[in-house]
Amino acid sequence: MKFESAITAGCVLCLAAGAGAQTPAPEAGYPSTGPISGYMELHFNDVEASDPVVDFHRFVLIFSHSFSPRIRFMGELEVEHAVVEGLEEKGELELEQAYLDFLVTRAFNIRAGMLLMPVGLINERHEPPVFQGVERPFVDTFIIPTTWFEVGAGVHGELGRGFRYRAYLTAPLNAFEFSADEGIRNGRQQGSEARARNPAVTGRAEFVGVTGLTIGASAWSGISGTQFPPLDVHVSVADADARYHRDRLELRGEFAQVFIGNAASLNQAIELQTGISPNVAESMRGFYGEASYRVWASGPARDAVAFVRYENFDTQYRMPAGFVPLKQFDRDAWIVGATYYPDPDVAVKIDYVWQRNQSAIVRSPNSFNIGLGWWF
Amino acid sequence: MVVLMRRRAPTTLVACLASITMFTAAGHTQTPPRRVIMIVAERFSFTPSEIAIDAGEIVDLHLKSDDTAHGFRIAGVTNVAVPKRGHPALVITVGPLAAGRYPFECSRVCGAGHNFMRGILVVRDKTQEPVR
Repeated sequence: MKFESAITAGCVLCLAAGAGAQTPAPEAGYPSTGPISGYMELHFNDVEASDPVVDFHRFVLIFSHSFSPRIRFMGELEVEHAVVEGLEEKGELELEQAYLDFLVTRAFNIRAGMLLMPVGLINERHEPPVFQGVERPFVDTFIIPTTWFEVGAGVHGELGRGFRYRAYLTAPLNAFEFSADEGIRNGRQQGSEARARNPAVTGRAEFVGVTGLTIGASAWSGISGTQFPPLDVHVSVADADARYHRDRLELRGEFAQVFIGNAASLNQAIELQTGISPNVAESMRGFYGEASYRVWASGPARDAVAFVRYENFDTQYRMPAGFVPLKQFDRDAWIVGATYYPDPDVAVKIDYVWQRNQSAIVRSPNSFNIGLGWWF
Repeated sequence: MVVLMRRRAPTTLVACLASITMFTAAGHTQTPPRRVIMIVAERFSFTPSEIAIDAGEIVDLHLKSDDTAHGFRIAGVTNVAVPKRGHPALVITVGPLAAGRYPFECSRVCGAGHNFMRGILVVRDKTQEPVR
């Protein structure tokens, strides 16, 4: 009898809770999340000619606070590769975002702090359930150095009819960390006592006025050299991208190119310091196209997506006079895989990567990958 | 005066049937259907992000997410949770409102670009200019 009463009471409580959920007060909060949000992803990577590894790649917590309806804080703190130890090549603790938004009008708002560079499809929209593949695209790794963040300030807004923009002044890259294989990636200063003799300017224009369609173009430009030794290296990044989904089909495409002025002088300056020429190119280029299809959709929560992506990325695309391109860094890849969503915010991923390059000697390894990612 | 109701789409049929029954019993003629405006939420935008209604008009907003759970807040008017992808659209009734501009925004943190998710509800005075 007591058991039946407990069941009855439980049912009544559930019904009451359900009824409450149907008609919340207009300003009520949401039970599905608290003041902390975030995302996590862990990977199994089996790369040819290497031991397989399991890596808790990203553990990210997002904090937000509203000082008032017009002044808001957003912060994103990330632990990469699970362990952070001093003086060792291990994980990283990164402050990826920490900014204040001063919301003025729909068309004009001010943002200042640690900012994500508004470049490409992935850099500002990188939660694991929103992109296909265990790892982020190569183009968004070697050409656009995702996740790319710097300290700065700027403006953003929406101009109406689906057009919107952002434009920031930020710390530049550090050209002395550029390389032949990873391009400008290691030049990110990440807001850590960043050299800021010459601020960089970056911006993005975007059209989101049609349901399912995003078309964007981004640019980044800055003098990324140093005062000692005196060297001005003008770096520009240009990007055009688009994303469209309708019914079960989603299509994505991105093109990005990097231009490095004074690359020959940069190579010579680094060689003078380190004894090794990094063979930095004067231009790097990458593009990809991706098609994904929701092959299975079961009710409101579960579905599965199959995808294929072709990427072409070359960090030695154009060399300065007197430098020969390293052909192993002229690469392309086919990635085929699937993502199972037990919930729209939980992604179980599997893919295989066929990678090739233009070198007759050095071979790019293929890889098999499994990932688990979630957003809350 | 703001009238606000919230329901899930599957309940619409039941509500309509109930309304028809009540109106028939009372001997009323059927009122014209309310305008329906579809709004899709997706990281990190609402489409459309600009909607226009007449002052005094009552409209049904059908709010649907293409990915995670979002929020939909019109300051001083409504603040509701938009369910995740795959769930039926959330239907809320908004109006009548006085002429003016009512910003709306996502009220649930949905990712790195959450603060970009904003839009505007324009309520136009019919005596001033026609609604687009």
